[in-house]
Amino acid sequence: MNGEEMNDKQKTSNCDMHEALIAYLYDEATPEESALVNAHLTRCVACEQELRAFEQVRTTLQQWQIDDLPVLRVVTDRPSSERLMLTVLKELLSITPIWAKALGAVAMAMLLLAIIGTDLSVGSGGVSLRVDLLRRGRPVEPVNPNEGRKITASEASIEQVRAELRGFVNQLIADSERQQKEEIKLQLVGLESQLQNMRSADLAKLATRIQEHQQRLKTLEQDIDRREGLDLTDILFSEVSKPTDRSTGGGD
Amino acid sequence: MELSDSQIIERTLAGEPDAFGVLVRRWERQIYGLTLRMLGRDEEAKDATQETFLSAYRNLSKFRGEAKFSSWIYRIALNICNTRLRSRTKFTISLDEQREISGFELAADNEDLGSGIQQEQVTRHVRRALQGLPAEMRQVIIMKEYEGLKFAEIADVLGIPLSTVKTRMYTGLTELRKRLEHLREAI
Repeated sequence: MNGEEMNDKQKTSNCDMHEALIAYLYDEATPEESALVNAHLTRCVACEQELRAFEQVRTTLQQWQIDDLPVLRVVTDRPSSERLMLTVLKELLSITPIWAKALGAVAMAMLLLAIIGTDLSVGSGGVSLRVDLLRRGRPVEPVNPNEGRKITASEASIEQVRAELRGFVNQLIADSERQQKEEIKLQLVGLESQLQNMRSADLAKLATRIQEHQQRLKTLEQDIDRREGLDLTDILFSEVSKPTDRSTGGGD
Repeated sequence: MELSDSQIIERTLAGEPDAFGVLVRRWERQIYGLTLRMLGRDEEAKDATQETFLSAYRNLSKFRGEAKFSSWIYRIALNICNTRLRSRTKFTISLDEQREISGFELAADNEDLGSGIQQEQVTRHVRRALQGLPAEMRQVIIMKEYEGLKFAEIADVLGIPLSTVKTRMYTGLTELRKRLEHLREAI
């Protein structure tokens, strides 16, 4: 073990006070812990020295401060497209009046029935309901007049509802598109101002850097001047203190 | 009135486009400070900071309101730093470290010109001393000394017992004390 290592060992406390000492150092000790540490420090030189040394380490650590914060460009996308759609739908529902909601619900139900192909007929056997998935495109079966007759009024109303529904859906799509356009426009404006801010921040930072460098250069120049001045003084002093050397030199 | 972190998160999740930017501006300095002191390299710290905020944004819906946002984002940042530190190999030595190894820096140290340079020198020594510590001690010291977290908060961020935090702090400070003394003697 060399002298330096021994020195380190001597400075390191062997007492079982590490946690309390650390809490005490950072003002996080309980009153009991503080009393314990205070009492201990009066009789333990090693711990007392250690505490002082840690305080010094802390002071040195604090010398490293970060003044220069880089300009960060955190480009983020939407957290989730599902969430966005849900939000839009929620907002849409919140501004729609109740009667429109009810109408919408009925229209949706009718649309669903129309899509899956529902036939309502009244015959000698009573009322019958037939559901046929994706009927469109299939040849229409001839209807036996004895079995019953089609309710043409119902068909007409379904057609009407379909048309209304189509109009409603188209309107919704148009509204949504308009809203999206507005959102995009707002985002663009926001991005533009953000870019402008970043540019200003960059310029300001650049100006500060230049100033710092100029200052540093000035300090260096002053230091060099000071050194040169010292050298000259040294030369002068040495010349005054050694007159014989000068006379010898003059003789040469 | 200034919005709390939780309120900003709620707004971000509700689709408010600029809300997350407020959180970034509020926490970027602390996160950059943490990553820079953990990694010791400016460019890498910038990347790690961006990665931290991106990761936070993408996982914002997983953030539970009962925890503090600061603890959560510090944890993300430390995970990113630790991953980067683990992926470092002996072949990826920075220019500063190369200079240090080849003795360039010591020669420069002897030319002590002006107080600004002296300050830079101290900073460099602190940086070097911290980099020499094992990551688990370094992160505790950084969070305590530079981020000003309480020991209980550090324990929460790292998910370790309070006594372990204090022990790491003690060991870390002891180690730093030796290193800084050696460096002081070298100046």
